[in-house]
Amino acid sequence: MSANANAVRGRNRTQPEEKQGRSFLRGLLSRDAFDVPFMAFTLALLTVGLVMLLSASSTYAYYNEGGDSTHYFKRQLLFAIAGVVLMFLVSKINYEWYKFLAIPGIVISVGLLVLVLFYHTDMGDFKRWIPLPGGQTFQPSEIAKVALVLFCAWSMEKHHLQITGKAPLQGGVTTWLRRKTRERVDLSKASASTAYMLYYALVICLMCGLVFLENHLSGTILMFSIGVAMMFFGEVKARWFAIGAAVVAAVVIFFLIFPDKLPSYAAERIEMWRNEDADPYGARWQTNQSLYAIGSGGFLGAGLGNSKQKHLYVSEPQNDFIFSIVCEELGFVGATAIIILFGLLIWRGFVIAMKARDRFGALLALGLVFQVGLQVALNIAVVTDTVPNTGISLPFFSYGGTSLVILLMEMGIVLSVSRYSRVQKQ
Amino acid sequence: MSKKPSRHMIRRSIIVLVALLVGAFGADVASLVRIQLIQADEYRLKAESQQLSDTEIQPQRGIIYDRNKKVLAQSANVWLVYLNPSKIPNDKVRNELSEGLAKVLELEKEDVLEKAKQSKYGYVVVKKQVEKEMKDAVSDFISKHDTALKKAREEEESRKQELKKAHKDVPESSIPEDQKDTYYSEIIFTDPDVKRYYPNGHLASTVLGFTGTDGIGRWGLEAKYDETLAGTPGRILTAKNAGMDSMDTPYETTYDAKQGNSLVLTIDEVIQYYLEKSLDQARVNAQAKSAYGIVMDVETGGILAMATKGDFDPNNPHTIADEKTAQELEKILDPDKKYQELTNAQYTQWRNRAITDTYEPGSVFKVITASAAVEENVVPDDFTYTCTGVINVAGTKIHCHKRTGHGQEDFTHGLMNSCNPFFITVGQMLGAEKFYKYFEAFGFTERTGIDLPSETAPVEGRSYHTLDQLGIVELASTSFGQTFEATAIQILTAVNAIANGGKLMQPYIVSSVLDEEGNTISTTQPTVKRQVISEKSAATVANMMEHVVSEGTGKNAYVAGFRLAGKTGTSEKLAGGGKKEGKYVASFVCFAPANDPKISMLIVIDEPVGEINGGQIATPVAAEVAEATLNYLNVDPQYTAQELADLGEETPSVTGLSLAKAREALSGFTVRTVGEGSTVVDQMPAEGQLIPENGVVVLYTDKTSEKKQVTVPDLTGLSVSEANQKALEYGLNPKIFGNSLTMGESVSYKQSEAEGTQVEEGTVVTIYFKSNVDVNDLASD
Repeated sequence: MSANANAVRGRNRTQPEEKQGRSFLRGLLSRDAFDVPFMAFTLALLTVGLVMLLSASSTYAYYNEGGDSTHYFKRQLLFAIAGVVLMFLVSKINYEWYKFLAIPGIVISVGLLVLVLFYHTDMGDFKRWIPLPGGQTFQPSEIAKVALVLFCAWSMEKHHLQITGKAPLQGGVTTWLRRKTRERVDLSKASASTAYMLYYALVICLMCGLVFLENHLSGTILMFSIGVAMMFFGEVKARWFAIGAAVVAAVVIFFLIFPDKLPSYAAERIEMWRNEDADPYGARWQTNQSLYAIGSGGFLGAGLGNSKQKHLYVSEPQNDFIFSIVCEELGFVGATAIIILFGLLIWRGFVIAMKARDRFGALLALGLVFQVGLQVALNIAVVTDTVPNTGISLPFFSYGGTSLVILLMEMGIVLSVSRYSRVQKQ
Repeated sequence: MSKKPSRHMIRRSIIVLVALLVGAFGADVASLVRIQLIQADEYRLKAESQQLSDTEIQPQRGIIYDRNKKVLAQSANVWLVYLNPSKIPNDKVRNELSEGLAKVLELEKEDVLEKAKQSKYGYVVVKKQVEKEMKDAVSDFISKHDTALKKAREEEESRKQELKKAHKDVPESSIPEDQKDTYYSEIIFTDPDVKRYYPNGHLASTVLGFTGTDGIGRWGLEAKYDETLAGTPGRILTAKNAGMDSMDTPYETTYDAKQGNSLVLTIDEVIQYYLEKSLDQARVNAQAKSAYGIVMDVETGGILAMATKGDFDPNNPHTIADEKTAQELEKILDPDKKYQELTNAQYTQWRNRAITDTYEPGSVFKVITASAAVEENVVPDDFTYTCTGVINVAGTKIHCHKRTGHGQEDFTHGLMNSCNPFFITVGQMLGAEKFYKYFEAFGFTERTGIDLPSETAPVEGRSYHTLDQLGIVELASTSFGQTFEATAIQILTAVNAIANGGKLMQPYIVSSVLDEEGNTISTTQPTVKRQVISEKSAATVANMMEHVVSEGTGKNAYVAGFRLAGKTGTSEKLAGGGKKEGKYVASFVCFAPANDPKISMLIVIDEPVGEINGGQIATPVAAEVAEATLNYLNVDPQYTAQELADLGEETPSVTGLSLAKAREALSGFTVRTVGEGSTVVDQMPAEGQLIPENGVVVLYTDKTSEKKQVTVPDLTGLSVSEANQKALEYGLNPKIFGNSLTMGESVSYKQSEAEGTQVEEGTVVTIYFKSNVDVNDLASD
């Protein structure tokens, strides 16, 4: 059963699967309703995020953008409006069409990840951004994460039986090898589940390796986590995760003991995380200021707009550390409410996935929502000094136009899945 | 094959969802609980300490008034100038700013530059206690520069606009980064500050003390009453951003300062002035190390005046006021030694010797021995003693100051003559126990407790003999005021008890404390420490003391019209090990009027050169101060017939009369006329002046004619009649002051108008007399 056939076939779950032959456009766009709670959580987070960005960035913008306190807010607002429109449009598209993008997506991503190693903005050792005309920049790893999710979702649906060991290896490569080696190498006799596990591990490692070469440890960790999560969702056999966890634990322990084996920028950050008194005006400044801000907020917070730490103490409060200003202004109550809101979004995303029409849609939604959840969890862990300072932005809150648009489009894909999902949508 | 997500997949999804929401999000919330709820205060404090700039508002320090609410010390608003060096963009601005600011603030450019270089800081004080004029100059300096810069920037901007309109390339900026100027108003600031002013300069300086540049009392009353005067500082808490700028949204909390309370002293500015003027003169004349004195209100023990000459100007307490000392300091080249000597000289001039310096009171103490003897009634009324000039005490020969002996004397004459053998005898008649009882009762074993800092405390066995140590020899020497030491305030407090009917008062200097609105918060009530002797005994001793002034060693303290009771004293200073070093302390204690004492006074001349007896150099000072003070206090003089005659005659008013009538009215006076007119238009002296019977009166008959001037001659070193004659010869009217009762022996020592000055003919010149006969009381053995 080809992906092509799949895409054309299903319009919604009420339609019998056997019914075929409807027009191309009718299959492309969905007329079903999207999941309202998920949309509501998304828009709520986006709104709160914009308001907090305005508050957090005002002083920094005033001093760094020629006296314009609303500089960052205005730009983010434009991207947000565009992003919401795009989200809606994307949600209308039948997500099965994205199967066509799985292979090109991963290829282009790898291409861009290679390109960025040679063509990037001048940011010291960091080779993460490709400069765009008009002063914008673009992070290939942002696209690569989506591409990886899409690729895994497509491939894992397609090779579900092999992954779970219910079918032998088959297909072009296997046939070709058998013929070439005169049946001396017959992959179909090998363990299909092991082979696919290795196959995905290889793809993930390739992506992670390329991101790691950008000197982008946080991106690498995210990429790796998303990949492993996709393998987990895709029903790769459990024992591999036990082995993998052991390996990861060993690696983490190794680097915690020998931080000097890490790239210097990452080693420094780990050192600053472990030694609270180190270099208070240098590497430790940002984390300390973040803690002061969070602590100052107390239970009820200083009130919206009343952060003092945003006044040039927390450096670039509109970026990765925006949540510390949220904590200062809205207090424990507000910060927890926002975490709960994120939790609701993720829960709803998982519900959509689990009730999805097909495995592809489920995997797609799970991957995208997991990515958001992981990023939120890690970002807050960073601002609270629970893990070393890595440089992960907070979805919907941190400043960054292109990543906001990409994020909203991802949410659009989840909404598209929801249109075919069997959830109660009101 | 089902396309739907398998159960297996759903189970795994739920595992991840729970891990994410409970594990990761839960960990995040746990972190927030720790930071925001458990450790919140710790982080909040750290945050606030960097966010808040805490500015203290200095409260206005209280005023120090004299007893008539005349200001003795007052704080005025001044400013301090500070920089925010972190805002200085480059060395060019730093240099120009430092140079300009140094000029305005009258500082060295290098010093300002040094401060401007501290670019890590946002607050560096350049100058404190800047007065309004200079502060205005600083504001001018800032605005002049900033106006020019603003204009230059606007011109450049408009030039750019024109280029833009003409579609030409706009150059980035013609000025390179390291040459760019910036607004001084972002770098230089002023803050309110306070400065202490002492409008009368030296007046009462050792009593008042002074404050440091930080406004804290460092010396004298300023130190003793610092808490009362200081008030409570207020605070302005202002939130600042990490760049030390005020935040755009103002977070500011002000806690108002509580202004300091004011002190009303018992000191009377006028009496203080009289005392200081006379002491100053006496110190110069006697070439003494210092001269100090106290005037006390007899009834209350309040200090009316207290001065130590060789003092300082509290407006500039660190400047050495004594010119000679200052010159000597200049000569020292070794910086360490110079600093050491400068510090010594500062402490020397700051010293309130009236309460810190101890000395052997000498013969002054005889009034205490006399009081004890009278109270204990150990000296019979008909008691006489014959002084041979020496007395044998337990095998030790003690000489009288008069080697030839005073001959036979009764109690009163013993005191008048300040006879040592007499008082040794009186001491022996009292015995150690009774003597010590009064020694203690008069306060010679304790501090007086005056409310001034650093009053020296007596040390038993060292500064005085305890009862156990009071053997026959010690009793002998103590009874005439030797072999023990006391402070001036102790001695005067003791003698004041005699004037005050036997009641020993606790001396004090602050009579009340006022709040900032002038309401009285507290008033010092005069404290009677104890009744030392009976009122009757006190009157007896006072009477004896009056004879000391009218006939005895204190005769130079005579003041016509006012009856003074007093006692002279002279003692040789003991260097280490009891050796004498040829340095003396001359003193005189007195109270007046003798029959109804209002004031008591002690004058001490420390280390005089030449005339060294209290009766020679301390008594005239007391006379001058007593006369001026009693007149000022409106105490009615009670003249004897002789005194009235000596006062001379009052000049009548003849202005407006015809010349002939005027001459008639002025019969007896020497009349001189100036001018061609026939009517008197002006006269000298004016109406109501006391001049001798044959005094000079100059009459002016023309409004246009100039006043006739004469040159004042030297009128010192003359007898009363010689001085009178010489003054009249020069066309001046003499006024006799001081000891003129003993005409034959009195010699003039001072005149009110200095020799060589030009004064109008007919001016009254006061000539001061004193006697050098039988005023000695220094016992030398």
